[in-house]
Amino acid sequence: MNKLDLLRLARQNLWRRKMRTFLTVLGVLIGTTSIVVMLSLGIGLGEEQRKSMEQWGSLTMIEVNRGMVFDEKGEPVGEAKELNDEAVEEIKEIPGVTVVSPAYNLHGEARMGRKEGGLQLVGLAPELMDQLEFKASEGRLLQGGDRNVLVVGQRVIDNFWDESERRAMARGMRGPGRREEKDPSEMMEQRIALTVHNNNNYEKKRKFNFTVVGILEGEYGQHSWQAYAPLEDLQRIRKFMLEGAKSRSDDGNFSQGGVMTGGTVRVERVGRSRSNSRDTDNYDYLLVRTAGIEHTSQVSEVLRDKGYNSWSMADNLEGFEKTSRTIQAVLGGIGAITLLVAAIGITNTMIMSIYERTKEIGVMKVIGAAFSDIYSLFLTEAGMIGFLGGVFGLGLSYGASHLINHLVRNYISGGMPMEEVVNISLIPPWLALFALVFSILIGVVAGLYPAHRAVRLSPIKAIRNE
Amino acid sequence: MASLIEIKGLTKKYRLGQEVITALDNVDLTIEEGEFLCILGTSGSGKSTLLHVIAGLELATKGEVLLKGVSITKMKERKMATFRRKHMGFIFQSYNLLSSLTAIENVALPLVFDRVNKKERLKRSREMLIQMGLKDRLRNKPTEMSGGQQQRVSIARALINNPKIIFADEPTGNLDSKTTQEIMEILSEKVRNSGVTMIMVTHDLNLAEYADRVIKMIDGRITSIVPNKKVG
Ligand SMILES: Nc1ncnc2c1ncn2[C@@H]1O[C@H](COP(=O)(O)OP(=O)(O)O)[C@@H](O)[C@H]1O
Ligand SMILES: [Mg+2]
Repeated sequence: MNKLDLLRLARQNLWRRKMRTFLTVLGVLIGTTSIVVMLSLGIGLGEEQRKSMEQWGSLTMIEVNRGMVFDEKGEPVGEAKELNDEAVEEIKEIPGVTVVSPAYNLHGEARMGRKEGGLQLVGLAPELMDQLEFKASEGRLLQGGDRNVLVVGQRVIDNFWDESERRAMARGMRGPGRREEKDPSEMMEQRIALTVHNNNNYEKKRKFNFTVVGILEGEYGQHSWQAYAPLEDLQRIRKFMLEGAKSRSDDGNFSQGGVMTGGTVRVERVGRSRSNSRDTDNYDYLLVRTAGIEHTSQVSEVLRDKGYNSWSMADNLEGFEKTSRTIQAVLGGIGAITLLVAAIGITNTMIMSIYERTKEIGVMKVIGAAFSDIYSLFLTEAGMIGFLGGVFGLGLSYGASHLINHLVRNYISGGMPMEEVVNISLIPPWLALFALVFSILIGVVAGLYPAHRAVRLSPIKAIRNE
Repeated sequence: MASLIEIKGLTKKYRLGQEVITALDNVDLTIEEGEFLCILGTSGSGKSTLLHVIAGLELATKGEVLLKGVSITKMKERKMATFRRKHMGFIFQSYNLLSSLTAIENVALPLVFDRVNKKERLKRSREMLIQMGLKDRLRNKPTEMSGGQQQRVSIARALINNPKIIFADEPTGNLDSKTTQEIMEILSEKVRNSGVTMIMVTHDLNLAEYADRVIKMIDGRITSIVPNKKVG
């Protein structure tokens, strides 16, 4: 029998017992739907987790901080590495690394028009900024040759207050509990003056002026509260701050000076970790970009092996992925049981069908059907039931998935506006394909035993009982 | 004339619990190519069993069946299926049509198993059914046809692959006398015109007149062989 005839005959046979076929297909449909929806939840939750992590820090970024690496027992690993140009070169050589930018870090008091506030300033190589996963929502990023310009995160504006806001805050009307949403666009093209004191002589101070040329994307993320300036500007500021400095053990960390009042400005350097470096020319940290998420944790590990104190959001990813895999396995298991029941249903239906068609099978054998014809016919019928259940189950799964997402968005979240569309149920193409192939396979496997019985059937017994 | 089928010492026993039934008891028989053989006997005499063993549908307990000198008793079931498909046709008392298929689909079924393409097999089936006088019943299901019509469909199915041998087991057992006559005319004419070998089993003495030769069976044994003198 050729394949087309096989399909036609199988379809005819299924169509003969519409109700029974329908009910068996329904079983597979429910099984497929439950397994797909369950898996889609696992996948969707995992994807959401990943997205929310990505919001906090790019998964292709690694920060290399000052200080030593310690193993689990608290023993230092290797020598503490100095974060200088040599280190930059060394890290660039690591496979999977695409960009390395040195970075400085300052926290200072600043003024923007009538507003005063604090500025968390990061200096990095301006020509590399666009390669470091930064994106401007307004204006532009830093570029090579930039001087005295800033690109600010969206929440930097929140740290600036005018006189009335300040007074209101003092009366406790605007505590940190109630964030006043301010428009970050307000900062665009503004001049920001940062006042810096010499570290060794507090009376010596200098003003550094910046112009805001861009605002970063991302409302609540790693970069939202920081302002970025060219590395050279930060180097100039540091040079002024450190003039006349003797070698001090805590040179990297400036103690906080003075109480904050009107004109006084306090500047502190925030080390990402306690520095034990004596070299004041060292960078505060290095920003490393990897070629892709799949490289990040591996590069991270290489860095730690080399004695660098590296940190990346991707380090946490593995744990999260393990969790979401576990969730998927549990949910998938529940679906698998449903599908197993459906498979038993197929087997049952096919055996019943053989009882009914005993005579017919006998006749087919007598008039020349080969073993393989009978075998394929029953496998095809069973596979078709699986396929139909798979197709309709998949359709239902898409519907159910939409419904779940809709409900979650509108009811579970309490109608809160979400920054991004949340899909806790996600059916990627591979899952759809898997569901189809799997349901056909289930059908065929469930049909193996009945098909075997049909082949074994004696044609004589079948045609004798007339 | 070369012998088409040679049967030597064929014995078939069934075991029913403690009891052993001898359905065929040391049967010797030679069947010539192109002859119309009638096996006559009462119910339970072993006619159907003989037919089944010759067709390779049932295994003999003892003895041999040679088809053109080749033993089919030793043939593998698989090979036997192919052989039936290519060279044998079957007609049953209860027609044994597939109830879900139309007349034309039933007739075409052996060709489906023989991988003949759809267009060709429908063409051949249609011609065959027209020959059987069923021009208006091509698309009817068996339940929509009379017994005589169904049996004609089943004859068409038996003939569709141009078989060398046709086995007919009580082909008119369920039919009235008029229809019986019609069916027998069709069958005997087919033997005369196409040179096919026909082995027909019946308990009806009246049918014997259509055959070239009649053998009588009693209790699994052949008791007499009577050549029919027929003109035409
Ligand atoms: N499968 C079987 N098991 C036991 N006995 C059988 C079986 N098939 C046939 N017989 C017996 O063999 C004998 C011959 O049967 P059968 O060839 O059908 O006779 P006929 O076709 O002449 O009526 C009968 O007695 C019948 O009961
Ligand atoms: Mg009989």
